[in-house]
Amino acid sequence: MSLEVATVVEDAVEYSFAMEYHGPPITRELPRAVPINVDRIPVAAVVSPTPFSDNLSLPIVQPISATDIISKKLPKDLKLSSSSAELLTVSPTSVIAFDLRNNEVSEGSYSKELGLGTETSVSPSSVNNSLGEREPESCLNNDICALSGELSSDFECCNPNGGFVGRVESSGALGSSDSFEKSREFSGSLSKSRLSSGFKESIDFNESNRTDWESNESVLSVDYLSSRVSSRKFGDGNHESNCDVRRAPVVTFCDIESDDENINEEFSRSEPEVVRAKKEPAIKVRKGACYRCLKGNRFTEKEVCMVCDAKYCTNCVLRAMGSMPEGRKCVTCIGFPIDESKRAYLGKCSRMLKRLLNDLEVRQIMKAEKLCEVNQLPPEYICVNGRPLYHEELIMLQSCSNPPKKLKPGNYWYDKVSGLWGKEGQKPSQIISPHLNVGGPIKADASNGNTQVYINGREITKVELRMLKLAGVQCAGNPHFWVNEDGSYQEEGQKNTKGYIWGKAGTKLLCAVLSLPVPSKSSYPSGEQATSMNNWSRPDYGEQRAIQKLLLIGYSGSGTSTIFKQARILYKDTPFSEDECEHIKLVIQSHVYSYIGILLEGRERFEEESLNELRQNQSCDGSTLAEHLEGNGEETLYSICPRLKAFSDWLLKIMASGTLEAIFPAASREYAPLVEELWSSAAFQATYKRRSELETLPSVASYFLEQGDLETSKAVEILKPDYKPSDVDILYAEHVTSPNGLSCVDFSFPESAYDDDADSGDLHDSLLRYQLIRLQAKGFGENCKWLEMFEDARIVIFCVSLNDYDQFAVDGDGNLLNKMMLSKKFFENMVTHPTFDQIDFLLLLNKFDSFEEKIEQVPLSKCDWFDDFHPVMSRNRSNSNNANHPTMGQLGFHYIAVKFKRLFSALTGRKLYVSLLKGLEPNSVDAALKYAREILNWDEERPNFSLSEYSVYSTEASSFSH
Amino acid sequence: MSVAELKERHMAATETVNTLRDRLKQKRLLLLDTDVAGYARSQGKTPVTFGPTDLVCCRTLQGHTGKVYSLDWTPEKNRIVSASQDGRLIVWNALTSQKTHAIKLPCAWVMTCAFSPSGQSVACGGLDSMCSIFNLNSPTDKDGNLPVSRMLSGHKGYVSSCQYVPDEDTHLITASGDQTCVLWDITTGLRTSVFGGEFQSGHTADVLSVSINGSNSRMFVSGSCDSTARLWDTRVASRAVRTFHGHEGDVNTVKFFPDGNRFGTGSDDGTCRLFDIRTGHQLQEYSQPNSDNEVRHVTSIAFSVSGRLLFAGYTNGDCYVWDTLLAQVVLNLGSLQNSHDGRISCLGLSADGSALCTGSWDTNLKIWAFGGYRKVI
Repeated sequence: MSLEVATVVEDAVEYSFAMEYHGPPITRELPRAVPINVDRIPVAAVVSPTPFSDNLSLPIVQPISATDIISKKLPKDLKLSSSSAELLTVSPTSVIAFDLRNNEVSEGSYSKELGLGTETSVSPSSVNNSLGEREPESCLNNDICALSGELSSDFECCNPNGGFVGRVESSGALGSSDSFEKSREFSGSLSKSRLSSGFKESIDFNESNRTDWESNESVLSVDYLSSRVSSRKFGDGNHESNCDVRRAPVVTFCDIESDDENINEEFSRSEPEVVRAKKEPAIKVRKGACYRCLKGNRFTEKEVCMVCDAKYCTNCVLRAMGSMPEGRKCVTCIGFPIDESKRAYLGKCSRMLKRLLNDLEVRQIMKAEKLCEVNQLPPEYICVNGRPLYHEELIMLQSCSNPPKKLKPGNYWYDKVSGLWGKEGQKPSQIISPHLNVGGPIKADASNGNTQVYINGREITKVELRMLKLAGVQCAGNPHFWVNEDGSYQEEGQKNTKGYIWGKAGTKLLCAVLSLPVPSKSSYPSGEQATSMNNWSRPDYGEQRAIQKLLLIGYSGSGTSTIFKQARILYKDTPFSEDECEHIKLVIQSHVYSYIGILLEGRERFEEESLNELRQNQSCDGSTLAEHLEGNGEETLYSICPRLKAFSDWLLKIMASGTLEAIFPAASREYAPLVEELWSSAAFQATYKRRSELETLPSVASYFLEQGDLETSKAVEILKPDYKPSDVDILYAEHVTSPNGLSCVDFSFPESAYDDDADSGDLHDSLLRYQLIRLQAKGFGENCKWLEMFEDARIVIFCVSLNDYDQFAVDGDGNLLNKMMLSKKFFENMVTHPTFDQIDFLLLLNKFDSFEEKIEQVPLSKCDWFDDFHPVMSRNRSNSNNANHPTMGQLGFHYIAVKFKRLFSALTGRKLYVSLLKGLEPNSVDAALKYAREILNWDEERPNFSLSEYSVYSTEASSFSH
Repeated sequence: MSVAELKERHMAATETVNTLRDRLKQKRLLLLDTDVAGYARSQGKTPVTFGPTDLVCCRTLQGHTGKVYSLDWTPEKNRIVSASQDGRLIVWNALTSQKTHAIKLPCAWVMTCAFSPSGQSVACGGLDSMCSIFNLNSPTDKDGNLPVSRMLSGHKGYVSSCQYVPDEDTHLITASGDQTCVLWDITTGLRTSVFGGEFQSGHTADVLSVSINGSNSRMFVSGSCDSTARLWDTRVASRAVRTFHGHEGDVNTVKFFPDGNRFGTGSDDGTCRLFDIRTGHQLQEYSQPNSDNEVRHVTSIAFSVSGRLLFAGYTNGDCYVWDTLLAQVVLNLGSLQNSHDGRISCLGLSADGSALCTGSWDTNLKIWAFGGYRKVI
């Protein structure tokens, strides 16, 4: 029903009243006015004259006297009609007759409408008359046109007078259309002609008695509507004073009359409100039922649309509201502003929604609901010191440290000096942040006081005066006070502060008794701007800090996986799950077999070598050759017994075919004893002693093969089926983490960490979650497109293995390059990647322990990049344990660190953080990750540091700038 | 033969290949007397014109909390699956903008997603180098998460793109950062064939996109970081049927033309191109000089059902609608009032061509449809 009405109104807007309709054929039935049977028209009961006298006497005269055109008019349409330019032979008491005339003379419309607007509020009896007299005119269609014409004229009129008339009119007309469906009992006789009947209805309710509006929603809705339209002046009052419907249009009328300059602005505003006001659920349902499935009763849990008040049950809410891009609104209501009465519920999630959606979605919807633009309080509804706010002003008002509580549309006054805040015409209700540049200058009669005592140019109310007197402020002689936000007051024109109003404890109590505001504690006299800034930015900040992403990258072999495993071991209660352990166990076992295979391969080589040697020796000494061959059967130190030999050959064959991994862990039970035997054989031990000659054997092999004494091999332990890898085993094991792609671990630094560094002892810090993401260097390719996915990383931890400087690897093009140079190239790629142009880099120089050993033997200048490394070593190198003299390793580290820092600052102009690392030592990794955390903390505090302070801090922390 | 000698010979061979390629290019240029736009103009074709209200955003699908990376429509119903950096796949009903499924992924860094032809399952892939298949009908576990019904593992690099073979729920083609494309058998979880790779004449850099020919599902085309697109026959894995040169940057996206005889590409060089798979010629280049000289890449393309329109998303948030015949921009969706705030990362047309869905780094998806009485072209 309401939908139909709505379309009628919409159409009415489109049709200009003077034009013929040329649009597409109308599918629905045209509203038709039926000849009215006078007897059946509900005749208004004669209203007792008393309520009229006080309501009508004052407001009507003002507007008319202010307008030139109708200056002489009295609130009687008799006079109105006589004064208008066109004199028609219609009955002077007929309202509708004016409408007809309206068709002929468009300029006359405003006066007519004015008359109508006036009339509706004034003389119900005349309306009845007019309706009666309309009948003979029999221009029914014209009638309708005229009525719809009134509506359209509301929007088209640019004449200020017409404008305000239009507003009054639109409220009336809409009111009628709204009220129509809710008050069918009145319009039953005229049901065909909707507009006119609605119109009539609105007239009806004008004369209807009080009991009527209480029972009838239509009155309320009209009241609501008119209050909307006139909210600038009337907004506040209407909720309290909605007992008198008739007064609404009248008051509006006066208000607009009183300030002409805003009329156009107001007019344009009233338009969306018309749209808004008619936003009602598309269907009417039984009270308490779901609007979609029409089931349920008052007690079933329902979610309400913020716009049209439609209620939906659990099953329907997601269907009816879709993905809720603007919060809880029906899909059809998206884009419409919310019902102001529901503003308090914005962003407050119901239990039902929580049950239906997951946390993340609920949070997102609530955020959208609170922050999306259409749901914001329209700034023009808030009028401060007589001027509607602009968008920025409203934001300022809401974001200040001490904002007005429960800001509703309405008129307020605001004393910028003291921060006093109140509703227009009333005593102050609150003290908000002072010095906000919102609204116009305060008016003397803002709080409608009559005490002749002024505070900051505002005449204060009696209550305030009483408070001032009781607070001991001298108020004799009607002084004009100047009150600051801290309560200090002085008389206008004088310099000395006379005292503090809220200084005494008693005053606050007094204020509470008189329900006057006192300054809140949080409002500081200074630094207002700063605090408001903080308030505004904090929520965002908090979300951003929810999880901090640390990106761990490095060239292959740089030890990123060790760091990753260390982080898991350090910060997780169960570093590796059962499944992972099982997987790691198999990986380690197959690794051990491959180590053994490599050793066996070496053994064969050594055996051959030693045999050749033997033969050479023997060929020199030809006589003994034969004996040797017979006796020893080519036995050398590296020879093994045939059984082991068979195993060895088989193993080597498998390795060559590359199916070791497929076979081995499974066949382990069978071959483990053989391995034990093999390990204890002298030949194998001899080979193992020469393991440094086997380049393919990784350095970690020795960890897995031997443990302490050579007699009981760790390999034997490992190959047992019930072997459980220890954390250290896992740490040493290669390729146990996901072989390709990336791996990540969420952790937070344990509490105990704060004992040793006091200055980062923020309690909330321990709640911070970190996510260490390890990226595999393999498959990075040239441009690393997908690094864009990591633009939210807080820091990039780049890992370089220090002892790469003398090692070589094959790059993509098949060239053999120094691994350090490859690392450097990769580093350059990463730091210049556009994704990382704002992100800090932490360089971890890994494997410092083995580097220290290596640098003593292999000069650093083996790598081209480090050819100008000329360490100045103290002459007495023998006592290098002296702390004052850095070791060669330390010098080398500093040198490489500086090399990287220079490279970094040349590429980006920023500062590189460097730390050294021993990947296998948990403490070292822990320190490095905590250093990364410190960098993040500094980052956040950076703006707070003065420049010098900061640079000192960082230089010291990154330990060696140069 | 010594290493130096080998290197020399390799150098010489590369040189020869390059000169031959150049000659081929010259020859092609000689043979091409016109391009599509020139021919269409000479035939008196007039460009399509769009008013500002002809293509309007009619839905905003909000629900992701991270950048949207990929989307796909179901062939038969109006459902969309989208993949985002918040680590979720969301299945939407495009008509009602409801979410029908939200799937939490084991690896948050997802790059691609696809709907199966039957609409029963979705596939996704990303930096975990796996392609995960989710059956939408399978029951959720106790946390409300949909379990992975199959993991296709075998790629050695990230999975950049995946597409189901039309009308087959059991076969899927993926493209990967390991320079290969793989045809998978989902029922067994094994690779049926690998296209490209170490010893084969495949792409020489990361493959970023695949598109399967709609009219002949044995043919598919792939676009790669080596700035080429290659046409493959699924029956011949060993070598590409044809290699299409022309782009001067990574080929980010490829899409078959509706008739299956042409395909479009979008690249880091900011252009889209149209290639003919039978002649191997480039038919048309679609590029427009950017006003503010900033480099913008084409992230994703889609053709309208007739092929007359080409929708192309750019990294700077533009989304052009090209007239494929006259190579003119008809409309820029990125300049419309309610457009995306961030880069448009993916777009796709519904099966009936009535709606376009765009996904963006601003975490939203938007559905665009023809407003008014305009017919679908």
